[in-house]
Amino acid sequence: MSTLTKDQLPQLLAALSESATVYVPAEIDGISKFAPYGSAGTGEPRFDLVNTMLPPKDLLFPQSEKMYRYGIDAEGQPFINSICESTDVVLFGIRPCDVRSIECMDDVFLTKGFADENYQARRQHLLTVAIGCTAPAETCFCDSMGLSPVQAPAADILLNETADGRAWQITAQTEKGQQALAAAGFSADSSESTAAEVSCSLKVNTQGLAAKLDAMYDHPLWEQTARKCLTCGTCTYVCPTCHCFDISQENRMREGTRFRSWDSCMFFAYTEMAGNHNPRADKMPRVRQRFLHKLCFFEQRYGKTLCVGCGRCVEKCPVALDITVLIDQLNAAEPVQPAGEGE
Amino acid sequence: MSPVTIQHDCAREGAIALTPIACKVLSVSQETADVKAFRIQALDGTKPFECRPGQTAMLSVIPYGECMFCVSAQGQDYLEFTVKEVGYVTEKLHALSPGDTVGLRGPYGNWFPTEELKGKDVLFVGGGIGLAPLRSLLTYLLDHREDYGRIDLVYSGSTPDDLIFLDDITNVWPQLPDVHCHVSIYKPCEGWEGEVCYTAPFLEQLKLSQDNRVVVLCGGPSLFRTCREMLVGLGFAEEDIITTLEMKMKCGIGKCGRCNIGSLYICLDGPVFTLAELNKIPGSLH
Repeated sequence: MSTLTKDQLPQLLAALSESATVYVPAEIDGISKFAPYGSAGTGEPRFDLVNTMLPPKDLLFPQSEKMYRYGIDAEGQPFINSICESTDVVLFGIRPCDVRSIECMDDVFLTKGFADENYQARRQHLLTVAIGCTAPAETCFCDSMGLSPVQAPAADILLNETADGRAWQITAQTEKGQQALAAAGFSADSSESTAAEVSCSLKVNTQGLAAKLDAMYDHPLWEQTARKCLTCGTCTYVCPTCHCFDISQENRMREGTRFRSWDSCMFFAYTEMAGNHNPRADKMPRVRQRFLHKLCFFEQRYGKTLCVGCGRCVEKCPVALDITVLIDQLNAAEPVQPAGEGE
Repeated sequence: MSPVTIQHDCAREGAIALTPIACKVLSVSQETADVKAFRIQALDGTKPFECRPGQTAMLSVIPYGECMFCVSAQGQDYLEFTVKEVGYVTEKLHALSPGDTVGLRGPYGNWFPTEELKGKDVLFVGGGIGLAPLRSLLTYLLDHREDYGRIDLVYSGSTPDDLIFLDDITNVWPQLPDVHCHVSIYKPCEGWEGEVCYTAPFLEQLKLSQDNRVVVLCGGPSLFRTCREMLVGLGFAEEDIITTLEMKMKCGIGKCGRCNIGSLYICLDGPVFTLAELNKIPGSLH
């Protein structure tokens, strides 16, 4: 078994930092997130945090990102120039749920006919080093969503703590991971990690859920669920898989930049069209859209659930609208589908 | 008659993803008080890109913003967009003149089943600006006239001033072989000698048989509801009623999320669906 002792960690981080910006879990001003290793303010990596408050999605899909510049050049000719910036990034200490969230975002941004160039460039420059969880948080339920707290098959490198707690078993799961470790002077196992299975205490039953939800579009449970939602959008902000965005522009003199920024299906304006028509003007259809998209529509489209069980929304929702409680209610609900189209 | 099947997983080679190309306005025609048709050309005088009837494109009014429109017709060297002034970007678009620069990206989405319609009669039903997407298919059928059967257009608007492409409807198309235009307005109006009737009852009056006939329907929510109910009542199969959906769109390439209905994205998998398909997609008819 190849191991990385905890004493060797700074050496590995330093070696990886030579050719890339290494992001590690950190707590800055009371907010935990992934921050550049070695930069002022980041401090020592906080591998004791099970989940960072903010997911690492912004490294692939920044909260705001310039897409292209346009304007009139000195000769009076119009121009439109793409902006596609990316540098090598190592995401060190990402948890299995967040690794899965990257797989979901890969499905969205890289498949179905169009590859998103900006995402693709960042993705190609990303190396993921996952750390298996030994003590999932109270709000964690990844093993109910088909994941394991100690396995992250899509990560380039996986670290799992050894029984004595002084080292990690180190597994290179991709060629990219292997090369990065070799370049840093470390050896790694190439077979599957042999870590003992860990279980989350929070459980939900998702067996057959997507199929059941397919017939629950008009169920009264949505109205009941939506009642306490504030549509604040916190759930979508902290969600590692929420990927909706808006496109807008900023202009100055004869030049402008078009950029995209995170958006949320919880907001009224998200689907509001010119002429004031809005198919999801009320709160209920928006709440229903979010949960059906996570638990049913995404699965139908991409074969995965769009919830990875990280528990961030469970922890951060100001009115305790808990997706695990909702899943229990959905499981218990009688599948009533009124006849007709519900017009 | 075999039911129409519509392709949804369409090839997208060559489509422009998110960064538009610079184009210019070739011509502008005022259709009604608040509708203009714009012909758009690449800066080098060519057609910006090839596209099929029913497909959409994102037209960018630099520097104000961009909106998704159906390509309402196309020529050798241009794409035509028919745009009603309803909001901020369309207001800026309406202020453009020939020669002005715009951005354009696309084509997006699927298209009307032109192959499957061969040999069939086609009934177009539309109201107001709903003629724009119908026009892309109608002009295509006219360009390939020998491949298709009888063409009927049932078109209406609140008043005569709300009818777009009036010259085509009243003068050009009715002169063509086996093309029949049936036009009505909703409110009686001085000087109007034609029909005054809502679209659904007008359809009933016309008594067009459903034999070997496919319907292409496009209009606002109320026209869409009443006409689809009428057509089904008249005996048309839901598989033979084709329509186009709309939703707010930002990316056009199935990423940004807002045009999601069920497991589909209207920008990618639509906008063209049959009524039979929509009946199976939760929320699509709401």
